[in-house]
Amino acid sequence: MEKLVKEFRDIQPRMRKNEVWRNVDFAAQLTEDLTLSQGERQTAEYRCNIPNLDAIRVVVENGYCHEELKVDEQGVTSGSLREISGKRAEFVRQYFGKCAPQPNPYLQLNTDHYTDGVFIYVPDGVHVKQPIQLQSVINAGHGLFLQVRNLVVVGRGSHVTLVHCDDSYDNAPAFANNVTEVYVGANSYVEFYKMQNLNNTTGLLNHTYAWMEQGASLRSVAVTLNGGHIRNHSEIRMMGEHCDVQAHGLFLNDQEQEVDNYIFVDHACPNCHSRELFKGILDDSARGTFNGHVLVRDGAVKTEAYQSNNNILLTDKAIINTKPFLEIYNDDVKCSHGSTIGQLDEQALFYIRSRGVSERTAQTLLLYAFCDEVLAQIEFEPLHDTLVDMVKKRLHGELTLCSDCALHCGSPCNGPEANFYIDPTKL
Amino acid sequence: MALLSIRNLHASIGDREILKGVNLEINAGEVHSIMGPNGNGKSTLAGVVAGNSKYTVTEGEVIYKGKNILDMPVDVRACEGIFLGFQYPVEIPGVSITNFMRTAVNEQRKYRGLDPLSGSEFLKMMEEKKKVVEMTTKLANRSVNEGFSGGEKKKNEIFQMAMLDPTLAILDETDSGLDIDALRIVASGVNKLRRPDNATVVITHYQRLLDYIVPDFVHVLYEGRIVKTGPKELALELEQKGYEWIKEELESGK
Repeated sequence: MEKLVKEFRDIQPRMRKNEVWRNVDFAAQLTEDLTLSQGERQTAEYRCNIPNLDAIRVVVENGYCHEELKVDEQGVTSGSLREISGKRAEFVRQYFGKCAPQPNPYLQLNTDHYTDGVFIYVPDGVHVKQPIQLQSVINAGHGLFLQVRNLVVVGRGSHVTLVHCDDSYDNAPAFANNVTEVYVGANSYVEFYKMQNLNNTTGLLNHTYAWMEQGASLRSVAVTLNGGHIRNHSEIRMMGEHCDVQAHGLFLNDQEQEVDNYIFVDHACPNCHSRELFKGILDDSARGTFNGHVLVRDGAVKTEAYQSNNNILLTDKAIINTKPFLEIYNDDVKCSHGSTIGQLDEQALFYIRSRGVSERTAQTLLLYAFCDEVLAQIEFEPLHDTLVDMVKKRLHGELTLCSDCALHCGSPCNGPEANFYIDPTKL
Repeated sequence: MALLSIRNLHASIGDREILKGVNLEINAGEVHSIMGPNGNGKSTLAGVVAGNSKYTVTEGEVIYKGKNILDMPVDVRACEGIFLGFQYPVEIPGVSITNFMRTAVNEQRKYRGLDPLSGSEFLKMMEEKKKVVEMTTKLANRSVNEGFSGGEKKKNEIFQMAMLDPTLAILDETDSGLDIDALRIVASGVNKLRRPDNATVVITHYQRLLDYIVPDFVHVLYEGRIVKTGPKELALELEQKGYEWIKEELESGK
């Protein structure tokens, strides 16, 4: 086994004693035959079939970014983190690691050994009209162990929309320990949308660390459509007053898949708001975890923090572990947290069916309606429309990994394991 | 042959028997009104005919268009032309009325062996039917019943009825929660949909609605049975005298 793979594997047992990492076990994905990426390149062109998506795209293929460094007329810079680290070492040093002041061993492993990743810089006072798409692609034809590092730095008073996609293009097993840091300067607004569509043998530990200065706003929506085992590990720190965080997630998993959303929101300063809404539908023997932690520190008065997790389990074998958690050290706050686990509303089902809609279609309509609340949080319209479409297909059982992933490389993958199918009749 | 004939219908919810032998015949072209005190089985009767599985039928039969429908699932009955206007329409966040109706109309067309309507055909139909209840465009784009006022919810029921064009419509207290203007709009909507080949059952507490929707027959449902049937004047009599005299009549064994 590769030394790094072994190192990662050996971190797990001791980290599972820590509540934050309790359910994290990638043993099934960390196989003997994983090798480190050598920057394998395929001739495939990674198109993106989100209609009307006119984006600045930066592709990371098998852990390496081959894009040329681009600086547009507004000074928006995008390209390889490795390249910029060589050219502007001083600048990168200022921000690299800043968003994650308390590195955990998994993050440290990435910091010490990352191959490459995307660097994005938005100067002060720039409204970036085009969204920027970070596309992490795994396509080597054999098992890979990847560590990608992305760094996004947004100056003061700017606005940028980021679309972060994690996709597999083949059926080879893979494991990725990927880290994205997002520094949000004062009074800036960052929209950060994550889409995950990975094959059933792929594991992903996806770290996101955000650091927000005074008056900054962050809107994050993570949609997990497929993946062997995905852990979204987010830590968001509001380090100035009047920050606003909207952090939402939707996961639709089936078969033996496992999905785990951990989110930590730090209210370090007064007058900050945060809202979390995570929803999931689990089918077959899929397992899910929601672990949300809101910390309201001493002195963070006038805090508003709301946390909610709702789940639908379609079978008796599907499992969800949900733990909404508030930790509050002052009195002047408005906070709430809650979670639900359930089935579909019988009354609503009867109402829909009484109009002549079959049971199955009625169930699909309600499952879609359940998802819609999270999808509605996506303000960027072309992406919203595409995801609405994908989720509908997913619920109809039409969406397979390759047949209609948003990036659609055009190289068909085979094997039944790529099927993504929730069967509403099992309700 | 009657459009609907209910014979000796007994139904219960849990261990409690609610319908205790209902008999009712409805012909095409007729409007029937069912009145009666609260808790005597009016909504249960509507629910059983529509196919709500929360009620158990223990005896009797419901023959619709010559077929016993008691074994038919609710959606099949709807496709056969039965429509239930809900007393408490259900809110469905995330499903727009447009999407909901398009699904329903096309599923019903599929059942009848017709091709689905195209987007433009459907929208045209919707524009037309919205006029029946003076519905605004805004309402149609919202989630089904979500945040609707009482009047909007009931208008939405009649709008759905217009879209689905049922043969037998059962309207369960469609007048409750309506102000006078909304009542007039809803009632005139129902009247516009009246044809010689369809029938309407109006469940109500108040004679007021029957000023607008004039029934051919008025039935009194009391303790799980239809105990009295009369012409539209019976509703006026009930309005004036209440139900006590009917109870007395029953007790004196008349």
